[in-house]
Amino acid sequence: MNDLIPLARGLYGIWLREVMRAVRDRGQLIGGVSRPLIWLLILGIGLNPYFRGEVYGEVRFVIPYTYLQFLFPAVIVLNIMYTSILFAVSVIWDREFGFLRAILVSPVPRGLILLGKILGGSTIATAHGGLVLILARFADITLSWSQVGLALLLMFGLSFGLTSFGVILAARVRSFEGFGVFSNTIILPLYFCSSSIFPLDPSLTRAQTAALYPEWLVFLVEINPITYAVDALRGVLINFHQFDPRLGPAVIIGLAVAFFFIAWLDFRRR
Amino acid sequence: MRTPRPIRQSRRWLPGAINILVVAALLFAATFLPPDTSLGEVRRSGTLRVCVPQSAAPLVTGDPAAPGYDIEVLQHLAERLGLRLALNINPAIGRDFNPRNWRLTRAQCAVIAGGVVDSAATRGFLQLLPTGVETGWAAIVPPGEALGPVGTAAVLPGSQGLDRLALSGFLRENGIRTLAARAPGDLVAALETGAADIAISDRFTIATLALDEDARILWLPEPPFARFPLAFGLWKGDLTLRRALRDAMDAMGRDGTLASIAERYGLDGGPEDAADIGELFG
Amino acid sequence: MTPHTASGIEIVHLSHAFAGRKVLDDISLSIEEGTSVALLGPNGAGKTTLMNILCALIKPDSGRVMLDGVDLARQPDAIRRRIGAVFQDPSLDTRLTAWENLEFNGLVYGLPRRERARRIDEVLDLVELGDWRDEIVKGFSGGMKRRLEIARALMHQPRILFLDEPTVGLDPQTRARIWSYLEHLRTHRNLTQLITTHYVEEVAGHDRICIIDRGKLLANGTPEELRARHGTSMIRCMPRDAETEAALRAAYPDIRSLAGGRLGVALASPDMLDAFLATYGTRLRQIQIDEPSLETVFLSLTGRELRDRAPGDDTAAGVGEQAI
Repeated sequence: MNDLIPLARGLYGIWLREVMRAVRDRGQLIGGVSRPLIWLLILGIGLNPYFRGEVYGEVRFVIPYTYLQFLFPAVIVLNIMYTSILFAVSVIWDREFGFLRAILVSPVPRGLILLGKILGGSTIATAHGGLVLILARFADITLSWSQVGLALLLMFGLSFGLTSFGVILAARVRSFEGFGVFSNTIILPLYFCSSSIFPLDPSLTRAQTAALYPEWLVFLVEINPITYAVDALRGVLINFHQFDPRLGPAVIIGLAVAFFFIAWLDFRRR
Repeated sequence: MRTPRPIRQSRRWLPGAINILVVAALLFAATFLPPDTSLGEVRRSGTLRVCVPQSAAPLVTGDPAAPGYDIEVLQHLAERLGLRLALNINPAIGRDFNPRNWRLTRAQCAVIAGGVVDSAATRGFLQLLPTGVETGWAAIVPPGEALGPVGTAAVLPGSQGLDRLALSGFLRENGIRTLAARAPGDLVAALETGAADIAISDRFTIATLALDEDARILWLPEPPFARFPLAFGLWKGDLTLRRALRDAMDAMGRDGTLASIAERYGLDGGPEDAADIGELFG
Repeated sequence: MTPHTASGIEIVHLSHAFAGRKVLDDISLSIEEGTSVALLGPNGAGKTTLMNILCALIKPDSGRVMLDGVDLARQPDAIRRRIGAVFQDPSLDTRLTAWENLEFNGLVYGLPRRERARRIDEVLDLVELGDWRDEIVKGFSGGMKRRLEIARALMHQPRILFLDEPTVGLDPQTRARIWSYLEHLRTHRNLTQLITTHYVEEVAGHDRICIIDRGKLLANGTPEELRARHGTSMIRCMPRDAETEAALRAAYPDIRSLAGGRLGVALASPDMLDAFLATYGTRLRQIQIDEPSLETVFLSLTGRELRDRAPGDDTAAGVGEQAI
């Protein structure tokens, strides 16, 4: 027991450093604010008229929500994806500037170092996702405290998985230069293929969906794990599921466990 | 040895805390931007146009002295927003089950009232503003001693489009005879003469009856019977209008206006919840 | 296993290779508690690898290391609590304040809050950075950063301190200051120190000097011992032409080739100098005679000069290259 307290302090220290740095990093915070504003205000409002009802009984997509409400959970996921995956920058920073060595000579076990960093990154990403909740009023979503709690829990699970993914990427990227590429090759494709900005209508059968969208797009959406994370958040925030409600949390937990394990294998090998 | 300096921990967090506050304030400020033009358009025309059925008592009556709960609420809402209320009476509403055949369009009205049920199916087409009343099957239990086993029930199906098959099936299964009533008055009469042990109708019909003070009104419990909250329907995407109406509605709820209108139409209080099927039917 | 009670540093037959190339070749070294040892060697000699092994950052291929009486291979975590390390490359978080960097280290070493607060003040006072505790490290000069790193390495009161080139790139004043902190620690806290450097003038103050090159430990002793054992006077000269060079190489078989086309001749006796000057005095472009010093010790042991020469000599080297 007495051995655990110093280890807990070490874990806390590593976590605290990540969080401390993030709240001082204006650039990152600006990104965390401008993304939801752009996506929700500009895109959401821009497309709102196209999803508007004109004749009672006739809408293109029969989803029981407005477009803004539909988009809202996806924007949370987008914000989390950016913050989590770009956490790799922090990992590379530590490596390049030698800070990692200073931690590695300390008595904190490597697994705990990794856990502390990932927990720190997940906390930041969850906070960035949580910031979007402030806009709920704008999207006309009323939330109870239990909904907020459950949503934050899901966000944290997703953040943990994606931050681990960022760490895995960092181990495979040698320099800072690869970074502009990250958002364009990983984050945005995953986001667009996650049923985030257009719905795969659940009232349509598989065959009807395939008639509406080309088969390959439906395929991409269905194999994308982010799809199920978005779906889980929609379930909590606007009580709307396109897929089996159990699938979302299962995928989120699966991602977290699998990516943390790979990150741990990588880190141990170093 | 120098004395240790105090740790200025609060100051350490200050820059970060300021950053976060600024960011949160920025987001909060953004929520005040109007997301569309629906409220602006209604204000420009000065008229709040509402599509209603010809009659759906007690929500819409057609009687100028007591025009109905929905109409009076809408009048207050319009007044609070500085608008004139214009009713667009559409006889097709309520007669045909498929709303597509009502041919309601954005050009005709901004709000649909008079019995729009708040359900997932409705939300697929409209966004809703709950009016605070709900409907469903309710029962009148005569005053007096504890309920014995029910032998006969007087039933008036009413015009609400509630599921009659479910009700009659349920009564048959439990061996309860059905006494069909033709008018609301028949229900009261059947109870008074003892022809029926209990009277069943939709909640709104019961609200219009003059009943013995001690008679109890109970919801038929769910399941198997469903209760439906009612709402005003707004066009999907009309966020600003809905928000303005919702705020006005909330204000009416707070200052008691809503309650006083409900009282006038017998919609205050409402039926009690029956503990279970057994309590009702013995 | 024989019981080992000695503290300090004990290295036995340590070898390590990277990609088939031997970086450390059978190093054995014993350092008593409370002494300071300078590890002298040119870049690429294997000093940093040795440091990394001693800090338990990499596992050696073979050999055994005992630090403060603890076997590194068996109890790396126990070792980590007893050692402090200052790396050649800065390893501070420059976006945090001095205080935060130290606080972080205190947390990582599991120190309780009061203890952290006390030691932060203590180490900041030691390196004279008390007035800068709440400043962001980014704005610090190179010397301040290095001092803060030393402070950080002392936070958990290690028994052994490793410093990899602690004074490189710093101005003479800061260097002197750093040496005085380390001196203070050695005398007041009995702290064992292992310091790599390639500044010869800085090693004389240490208790022992180890000379390492190409992964081998070439010499180990007090400065006086080394000077006595390996120190020779040295002629460094640059022949005027190829003919002279050939003649010199023929006359002195153990002549060493130095940077910039210069040659080094070890002087066995003063007479040898007279003979050399009489024969070749007029056929040289440049000549320099070094008294026995640690630098000549190094030169005679490794056949290499220790570090990039001072600016004056660089010019000479440049001229030499042009001649060739």
